[in-house]
Amino acid sequence: MGHQYKAIQWNKNKIVYDLYTVIVVVVFIGVFMVVGLQIQPTGHTADPVVLMIRALGVATFTLLTVILAVGPLARISPRFSPMLYNRRHLGVMTFIVASAHFGLALLWYHSSGPLNPLVSLFVSNPLYDSIPGFPFEVLGFAAFLILFVMAATSHDFWLNNLSAPAWKALHMLVYPAYVLLVFHIVLGALMTEKSVIYPIMTAVTFISISALHLYTGYREWRADNGMKSLKAKGWIEIGAPDDIPNMRAVIAPLPKGDRVAVFRYDNKISAVTNACRHQNGPLGEGRVIDGCITCPWHGWQYRPDDGVSPPPFTEKIATYNVKIEAGRVLVDPKPNPPGTRTEPAIIPEQESVAT
Amino acid sequence: MSLPKGVIGPEPKNPDEMFVGWAEAPTVDRRFLLGALPLGLAGAGGAAWLIASELDDPGAGAWLTGASHEISGTLITDPYPMIRIIDQTAPGGVRTVLVVAQGKCTSALQLNDQRGSPVTARGVLIQRKQRQMLEVPPFLDDWLTPAKMELAAAVVSPPVKSLGAARLTGAIMDSKCFFGVMRPGRGKTHKACASLCIRGGIPPSLWVRTRDGAESVLLMTTADGGPMPMGILPLVADPVEAEGEIVQVGDMLQFRANANAYTRI
Repeated sequence: MGHQYKAIQWNKNKIVYDLYTVIVVVVFIGVFMVVGLQIQPTGHTADPVVLMIRALGVATFTLLTVILAVGPLARISPRFSPMLYNRRHLGVMTFIVASAHFGLALLWYHSSGPLNPLVSLFVSNPLYDSIPGFPFEVLGFAAFLILFVMAATSHDFWLNNLSAPAWKALHMLVYPAYVLLVFHIVLGALMTEKSVIYPIMTAVTFISISALHLYTGYREWRADNGMKSLKAKGWIEIGAPDDIPNMRAVIAPLPKGDRVAVFRYDNKISAVTNACRHQNGPLGEGRVIDGCITCPWHGWQYRPDDGVSPPPFTEKIATYNVKIEAGRVLVDPKPNPPGTRTEPAIIPEQESVAT
Repeated sequence: MSLPKGVIGPEPKNPDEMFVGWAEAPTVDRRFLLGALPLGLAGAGGAAWLIASELDDPGAGAWLTGASHEISGTLITDPYPMIRIIDQTAPGGVRTVLVVAQGKCTSALQLNDQRGSPVTARGVLIQRKQRQMLEVPPFLDDWLTPAKMELAAAVVSPPVKSLGAARLTGAIMDSKCFFGVMRPGRGKTHKACASLCIRGGIPPSLWVRTRDGAESVLLMTTADGGPMPMGILPLVADPVEAEGEIVQVGDMLQFRANANAYTRI
């Protein structure tokens, strides 16, 4: 949410978060290097460059795993919201670590030879027709390109200019990138190292991430299924005003598949789309703060009655007409154009019970 | 609360405070983070320790950078550049030191003028147990100079002794990385590098295990003792099997078999 672009949008939370992430990465690489150099048999020394390549590679995979875990975890518990809020910074950090891994591997394994390093990357292992022999480096390179595109378009400038749905679709490429990285590891490090720890760790990580996504996906599917009963024509009944906690919302489905967030605040009811203009965050899971609906993902704000961000911001979301009849809140499923002011439904006094 | 079926209310567990990135974090989030952050740090350190401690032994190779090493002996160019020196600590009193250029392009070395002559060479020593290699800077003129010395027959033309035909199972290595430049310089993660090195003229070696589990490294040549052709490249670093002849030249064991004698296993 911004009325002007800044190269990096930092605030106190993001600075603390970024500092902590850098410390974690440095500790990880530091411990990896010290242990890797010290633990060898007498007279045997590991190559510090090879160790660093490995440390950076494992760090990249771990960071990407955390990034993928944040979304589902934040759906399960709001305690993970701070990680969600800072996820883009973590993504850029992952790209920086991945760049170091890629650059060092290219320099160490593919440079100073009779071929251009980027040519060597593709031809030095020619076993493209073999699964166990497949050049794993190519898979890592493809994942790196995806991370590059994601990092390059991570700024709000691109989010606004590509549109939120296109930006979101582009950044869903993180899933193919993750699968490519898993195969990069399976066909590379796991085919070289003898320890059983590595396949176990890789499998546990991959299965955990998959299970997290399946679980939260199931929860969404169950919620969507429950909503089917509401897909009727005409105004949609939401419930009694007291069913909506003060300064918060309930979420209801609409016939065309959208969702509406119905907020109660200051003895009034207003309804807006459930999708935040920023990254489609679930506005209905947010709260009214300082008189504005506040998205739980990144804190973008909109006025409940017209769906417009408070000045100097200019973002707009769709609003819905709402009324109270016979003690029930009703919403017109036809959305108003983004930024259209609607009259909030006033909660009659006898139906307004402090919550 | 009596919401119609399908309408989703707020999570009952969700406290009234909500984390908003641009505002002070609620107490409940602060408490959670104060507990989670040290755990994250400890987890990162623990994971790094576990992963690094399980890495394979990098081997006994060493790349003695930081010190210049000088050797004098007979310069050999076939099948690969090498200098044969007198060394009483070596078996038979003769040691063969392979010579490679910095980087992965040994074919850049111009040696024909001094082939068979006594020379002194300066460079960085690469060593894996008894096997030695000298890495030289070809862009400097004085890394190789003629030596005024009498050369014993043992270093000029050591006896070539056939140890018989053998079927060997092992892996093809680029001698430079395997002798100590990269530790470890083997396995699939090193396959592309090894292939590039051999393409650039680094001598290929066959790494085998003897019946008692000891490591043995044989310099690979064609059946008639020439340098291996590029046809061997796709097999580099993979487990292979080949039938050929083991030949001892001075202190060095060679495995003589043509490229088409090797099969991946």
